[in-house]
Amino acid sequence: MSGENADQAVEQRRTEVLPIDGPLERGIDHIDRTLATGVNLTLDFTGCKFISVDGLEWLEELLLRSDSLGSKVVFTNLVPSVYKVFKVAHIDSLLRACGAPSQPTEPYC
Amino acid sequence: MTSTIKDQDHALQERANHLVRQARLAAAVWTQYSQEQVDNIVKAMTVAAIENVQKLAIAAHEETRMGMIEDKILKNFVASEFHYHQIRDKKTVGIIREFPEEHIVEVAEPVGVILAITPVTNPTSTVIFKSLAAAKTRNSVIFSPHLMAADCSNLAAKIVYEAAIAAGAPKGFITWVEKSPRLRRETELMMVHPEVDLIFATGGTQLVRAAASSGKPALGVGSGNTPVYIHKSASYATTAMDVIISKTFDNGTECPSEQTLVIDAEIAPQLLAEFQRLNCHICTAEEVKKVADAVIDPRTGGMNYKLVGQPADLIAEKAGIKVNQYTKILLCPLEGDLRHHKLAVEKLMPVLGYVIVNSVDEGINRALDINYGGGTGHTAGVFSEDDDVVERFADAINAGRIIVNSPTSIGGLGGVYNNLNTTLSFGCGTGGGNITTDNVGIKNLLNYKRVPRRKNYTLTFQTTKNIYINPGSIDHLRSLKTKSAIIITSRSAARRGHLSMVMERLPADCKVDVFSDVGVEPDFSTVEKAVAVMRQSPVDTVIALGGGSVLDAAKIMRLFYDNPELKLQEVAVSFLDFRHRISVFPQVVHTQLVAIPTTSGTGSEVTPFAVLKDNNSKRKLSLVDECLLPNIAIIDANLTKSMPKEITVDTAFDALTHALEALASTFSSDYTDGLALEAMRLIFEALPETLKNPGHILWRHKLHNAACLAGMAIGNASVGVNHALAHSLGASFDIPHGKANGVFLLSTLEYNSKIPRKFMPTSTYPLWVADQKYARAAQFLGLTDEDAPGETPSREKMCVLLRRAVYDLARLAGQPLAVAELGIPQDQYEQRMIELVTGSFEDMSMRTNPALPLIPEVAALLASAYPPRQRP
Repeated sequence: MSGENADQAVEQRRTEVLPIDGPLERGIDHIDRTLATGVNLTLDFTGCKFISVDGLEWLEELLLRSDSLGSKVVFTNLVPSVYKVFKVAHIDSLLRACGAPSQPTEPYC
Repeated sequence: MTSTIKDQDHALQERANHLVRQARLAAAVWTQYSQEQVDNIVKAMTVAAIENVQKLAIAAHEETRMGMIEDKILKNFVASEFHYHQIRDKKTVGIIREFPEEHIVEVAEPVGVILAITPVTNPTSTVIFKSLAAAKTRNSVIFSPHLMAADCSNLAAKIVYEAAIAAGAPKGFITWVEKSPRLRRETELMMVHPEVDLIFATGGTQLVRAAASSGKPALGVGSGNTPVYIHKSASYATTAMDVIISKTFDNGTECPSEQTLVIDAEIAPQLLAEFQRLNCHICTAEEVKKVADAVIDPRTGGMNYKLVGQPADLIAEKAGIKVNQYTKILLCPLEGDLRHHKLAVEKLMPVLGYVIVNSVDEGINRALDINYGGGTGHTAGVFSEDDDVVERFADAINAGRIIVNSPTSIGGLGGVYNNLNTTLSFGCGTGGGNITTDNVGIKNLLNYKRVPRRKNYTLTFQTTKNIYINPGSIDHLRSLKTKSAIIITSRSAARRGHLSMVMERLPADCKVDVFSDVGVEPDFSTVEKAVAVMRQSPVDTVIALGGGSVLDAAKIMRLFYDNPELKLQEVAVSFLDFRHRISVFPQVVHTQLVAIPTTSGTGSEVTPFAVLKDNNSKRKLSLVDECLLPNIAIIDANLTKSMPKEITVDTAFDALTHALEALASTFSSDYTDGLALEAMRLIFEALPETLKNPGHILWRHKLHNAACLAGMAIGNASVGVNHALAHSLGASFDIPHGKANGVFLLSTLEYNSKIPRKFMPTSTYPLWVADQKYARAAQFLGLTDEDAPGETPSREKMCVLLRRAVYDLARLAGQPLAVAELGIPQDQYEQRMIELVTGSFEDMSMRTNPALPLIPEVAALLASAYPPRQRP
């Protein structure tokens, strides 16, 4: 499948919008399970005001899994304090999920 | 074999990556923490450290075999309890400092990931110190310990980290490099790791240098070599005890500890005797040589690291000297040239050099020898009851901390003997290759975001205090309080009868001198001549009688008469903003200045400006200050009745330009706008009537008032690009000021009424409104569009109508509106274009114009002013 076709396939999947409510201190099982069904995910951070290191690592892992499943995860409605966590963390996959461009220099971590 | 090394390097890089990644994620998460959360975490870490001070001291001593457990306990307390006490109430999150008068706040931003290199001499205390500082500033820290102290250092890190995590700190914010033979290599990899933001290096010179050359921002410390000068005024007994406390602290491992004492001869016998009494051993010359051979490494000339932190009796034994087991310090007299003595270097052990001196100068010089012998920027000490000696010492010595009348080692740590910031890292400034001389701490681990609010300038309105108006107001001179006056005027004043009008009205008992040598464009020699006359026959009043040149000259004469120490070049320095200018004017004037204008143009009688020709530069010097304002202005139109038509028109156009430029100026205000508008209206009304009937006092009076009102407007709002062009043209071609103003007026009105290519950057002018101002001027004059009667003209059209009105007035008055009309040949004008552009651009008037004229625009304005004008 060409890159363009793969993109189309991803776009054609059903998208589930799931909220992240409260502080994200660890992985959220039902989001993991929903991703496993092969849908695209939109994680709505409206209710999330804090992310811990474990939360960050789970998000990164989630994005890795979505890549391997051929689905897409995007983050929306980030408050600035949470968006800044992604910026400072320098994790490219998280920034891409926010719709931000990749870092100008390759992130090391 | 090669692949093995590669594999090892790969594994090291992986380990480094893992540590840095943990730290990076924690740094990101830290950004969300509040001050309260941070403070709770730091407190928990401090408690954990305090609970383990002894355990960690023992661990450090066992692993390093340096120093003393008892002192290491104290160091751990300093790094935890004392450090916490100092930082507890400090703000490190959000707004951390406010400067209300400057309208600036500082907001903290963590630096991110810190690679902290820690030493063998203070391993656990440095880790405690840096951990607390990192947490307080919401940074992550990766410890790279000294190989010989890795276990105890990492134990300290683990203890405070676990306490922090229990209190809610981000996971992984403290990490450490495990002890291994490749620890140094792993540290080097992290020094250049792209995700490390700052290196905070405390340790050996080589590591600190490596940190500084890593390309990362680095906080390093330098090696010490502390000189301590003991002045004869010091108490020998307390000095001896302080030095012993300091030099024996942890067996001398503290880098700010004393290395060489410089002792005044007057106090030396008692001091040395006291050292001996307190069980210090004073070495003979032969023993000094033995000590030097033992403690100095002959290969490097530096200290023998095997003896660092060892007790004095052990060092004596190694040196082959017999001392008792309770000997505290080996004191070594350093004979000969101190600069070449082997022992005149840093010795982190209880071996202390000393020299005896015969004066304060010699004492400071010998201290400088030590200071610049390997310890520049670090630490020095002085014992003296004479503050002058302390000040002289501090002025001469290059050290980040100059400890007075107390131990330099514990004193340098801060918090115990003084109020220095507590630290285990001593910044040495550029003398030690560092960026700071601070006792490095939390303030060095933050990025400071400055948030300046826009300056709100308070505009003032100032003018001459007493203004007498109406024809006949010259009679006020009869009641003038003066016993001795000088009239500054021009020759024409006598011819026109003005001089006699003034002299007749001055009080009978007033001694009056007259200086009538003010020409058309006076220079400073004219001022000097007049001031010399005034000095010969002192005056209490200067009466300026004439046009703008006379009034301006008289202002400067009064200034220099009252302030003979002033220098013209110092008060005439150009400036961008008069509130920031470097010229300093006197605050008080003693001699009163009465200004009586005989033309209706400059308004100088009410402005704080004075212009003088500078014969050296062929330019005009502008002086601006409130102290130049006259005390009294007499606006008597009777003095203008005989003014020739040409001067009447020229000066009226000068005043009109003042009004139009003040109106659009970046310093204009409601106060100056009112004056400018009314001045302009009066000129449009009175000038045609005056030309019809030059002797009619009412219209002369209106013109005279208009000039004065416009003067008040520019006195507070200043002028603009038109004046800059006019000054340049006038200087180049000797053109009267009013005429020079007139030929640019149509060009600059059009230029300023269009959206600028560059706005003028000044806080007083938040919105470009020049076109609105001109439209308002047109409205104020009642101008209507003859081409579209009955219609409300657009703003743009109103600006055209204003230019048309200026054109019509000039044509009616016979005033030139183009450079060609001044009789200047075009080729000559074009030849001097660069000079004209430069002169215009340098003119201060430019700086209050509503648009920032670009150099090509200035050239275009000059060019467009040459050909004869068409009616707009």
